[in-house]
Amino acid sequence: MSPTSHTPNGASPASGQAAASAAAPRRTEFSPERMAKFHDYAEEYPNKRSALMMVLRLAEEEFGSITDEAMEITADLCDVSVAHVQGMVTFYTHFKRPFHGKHRFMVCATLMCALENNTDAALIQIKDRLGIAPGERTADGLFSCEKVECLADCDKPPVVQCDNEHFCSMKGPVLEAYLDKLLKDEGKPADAYKGKAPVEMDPRVPTLPVHYNFEGETEQGARRFDDKDPYLKAGEGALTTDVPGPLATPLTVPVADGVNGKGSTSNGRNGHDRAGGNQVNGKNGAKHV
Amino acid sequence: MSDANKPNPAGSGDVPPQKKADESAAQKAAGSPQPAPVAAGAANAAATPPSAAAPAPAAAPADPKPKVPFSPILTKHINEPDSHTLAHYQARGGYETAKAHIGVTDPGALIKLVDDSGLRGRGGAGFPTGKKWSFLAKGTGKPIYLAVNGDESEPGTFKDRYILEKDPHQLVEGVILTCFAIGSKHAFIYLRGEFILGFQRLDAAVQEAKAKGFVGKKIFGKDVDLTITVVRGAGAYICGEETGMLSSIEGGRGYPKIKPPFPAVSGLFGCPTIVNNVETISAVTHIVKNGAAWHKQWGTEKSPGFKIFCLSGAVKKPGVYEVPLGITMREMIDQYGGGLKDGRKLKAVIPGGLSAPVLTPEMVEKCTLDYESLASLGSMLGSGGITVLDEQVDMISAIYNTMRFYHHESCGQCTPCREGTGWLEKVAHRFHHNEGHQGDVELLGDIAKNMRGRTICVLADAAAMPMQSYLQHFKKDFEAKVKETAFVEKQRTYRDEITPTAKTITATGAGPSALEVGSNQGTQRSGENKDRG
Repeated sequence: MSPTSHTPNGASPASGQAAASAAAPRRTEFSPERMAKFHDYAEEYPNKRSALMMVLRLAEEEFGSITDEAMEITADLCDVSVAHVQGMVTFYTHFKRPFHGKHRFMVCATLMCALENNTDAALIQIKDRLGIAPGERTADGLFSCEKVECLADCDKPPVVQCDNEHFCSMKGPVLEAYLDKLLKDEGKPADAYKGKAPVEMDPRVPTLPVHYNFEGETEQGARRFDDKDPYLKAGEGALTTDVPGPLATPLTVPVADGVNGKGSTSNGRNGHDRAGGNQVNGKNGAKHV
Repeated sequence: MSDANKPNPAGSGDVPPQKKADESAAQKAAGSPQPAPVAAGAANAAATPPSAAAPAPAAAPADPKPKVPFSPILTKHINEPDSHTLAHYQARGGYETAKAHIGVTDPGALIKLVDDSGLRGRGGAGFPTGKKWSFLAKGTGKPIYLAVNGDESEPGTFKDRYILEKDPHQLVEGVILTCFAIGSKHAFIYLRGEFILGFQRLDAAVQEAKAKGFVGKKIFGKDVDLTITVVRGAGAYICGEETGMLSSIEGGRGYPKIKPPFPAVSGLFGCPTIVNNVETISAVTHIVKNGAAWHKQWGTEKSPGFKIFCLSGAVKKPGVYEVPLGITMREMIDQYGGGLKDGRKLKAVIPGGLSAPVLTPEMVEKCTLDYESLASLGSMLGSGGITVLDEQVDMISAIYNTMRFYHHESCGQCTPCREGTGWLEKVAHRFHHNEGHQGDVELLGDIAKNMRGRTICVLADAAAMPMQSYLQHFKKDFEAKVKETAFVEKQRTYRDEITPTAKTITATGAGPSALEVGSNQGTQRSGENKDRG
């Protein structure tokens, strides 16, 4: 039970946080209460490695998110390599990472929530208030937004998780009140993020791309592939074209315009272009001519 | 956390209204008893005419059983305040069953009891629980583990959430009984990471039981030890697969393992392991308490008992409803779910979680909610997550969303799944944007067919099955979105050139004989020569 024999420069993974952690002395273990909890786990589990899931949760609590430092400590405590811990953290999507905002919005985008534009309603509302689309973070790092897969509360869509809390039917006034509360807690005015440009989260973050919308796209007709398309490289156009007309306009739209432009054109990113036009009826079998 | 369970959520100060699933359930419950007895939790559904008429569906003539009135069992108390506490559970006779059986009854008799009850796994596969227990490798000298699967990651399913958040002690008691029956001293309960409240409540329940001496060393004063460990996952669909879950408990990525050896022979840490769903284990508590015959009075011949169904989608009253197996799908949708919203028309029903093949309205008419009926319709009961899709839903969007889910959740171990789910998603993506290529419908079917049965676990099948059923029942929707393009046309021509079909060979004079007598080596060679020439 001597997991603290840690060499500071031992197995540290290449990280962007090296500078930050160099300033403060490197920590080699959790706070005493969490270490006590860890020892409980170590006794209960058949081996230390199997306690890894729970120890990572401890690390998440301790550091607020799973930083590289947290991963190193966890690896030491559980007798596994840092690479293994990193593999775990990147495999499981629910762990909070440093590139997530302090308040991490996770909006369920799976079929049951996406029906009747529920997911979109929540996302549009978050975008309106905080200026962040899925995969983005406010520049001050306070808020981030993600689309995630099923959160298992499908009868009350849309389901949103934030700050280790679970919310259902999270749209309209309920979500508005929650956003108000969060902004107030952070001492920000209600319109703090109006017109502020968001930043993209770490590209490694396993979120669903912003254009992955369930509904609404058909009403505008065929969407042009844009530079955010995961199957095309940036700047590469779509392979299929219907009429020569649209070719006159560029196939790719600058990211900033696409992200912020509320009134962008039909070949822009259409994640939230339809804020005003939730034509529920229009989507059924709407054929592009 | 306990105040989240108060019936009046308006009083819970600093949190927004509708915080947590249970508050909104409590809201529904508060409003429901008088006008609409079918609450979200179905707790009050017992006395209503629909459930009294339930167990004799017209579509199941093979069931000669008399009607037995059913009232919810697993979800009976979920709308009561503090139902998750030990005091509440003991006040309604909790842990009495375990007390009576632990260290007293012969474990073999308990296994036989569960086997006789005909209880089938409620997690999705529907494997008989008693049988599974009897497969356990004996005399290996290794410890035996029980792993309870509370990952509940199948979209459309949220039944375990209610058990874990509202009545976790019945699960703990079930675990105690099960462990005694199979001779296990250590049980793991694996919950998905998204069950925040469920984890807190279950962990608290285990601690409470520990303090009372129901869990730990020498439980109930008998010479039986039991440790219960609650593990919280972190958001991976694949950990709902039993061996994936075991990998996760072992402290690795949730990679499923090759079967055989089945977990009952070599599971957790290489030791014999029984894996059961939360609902199954909870049902064990009640079966041991009331007997096998009691359990068999409901349901059908081959699917006895009751099950929690999760109703979502375009129905007026979505929620969890505990009903005897064998009621009709129509009854579930119309009487429990209150029919479709705004008088919309039914388009399709996903009967058992997202991976279950869809049912068309015609199939829904003859569908009853039991394992056999759904299997005969080419679908499955699965985890009991019923999603109702109305006429407004664009089926192409729905399948695209589904494929995106599976692509995102594929663990990446097996190529057919890792690549196949991606391909399905890409092609569905084309259809979704009205840019389907000629031949894409066939391509989708081809990919789906080649994914099935070729991977370690069934995630590939889970992705391929809905795709195949959508293609079968909604082919027109796909075809309406095909758009032929010059590029594809060119590609096709090129493909035809490099792989000549019989027709083109005939046309070019090679003659069909070369193909027909292809088994003859000599002819084959001469055929090759001809090609070169």
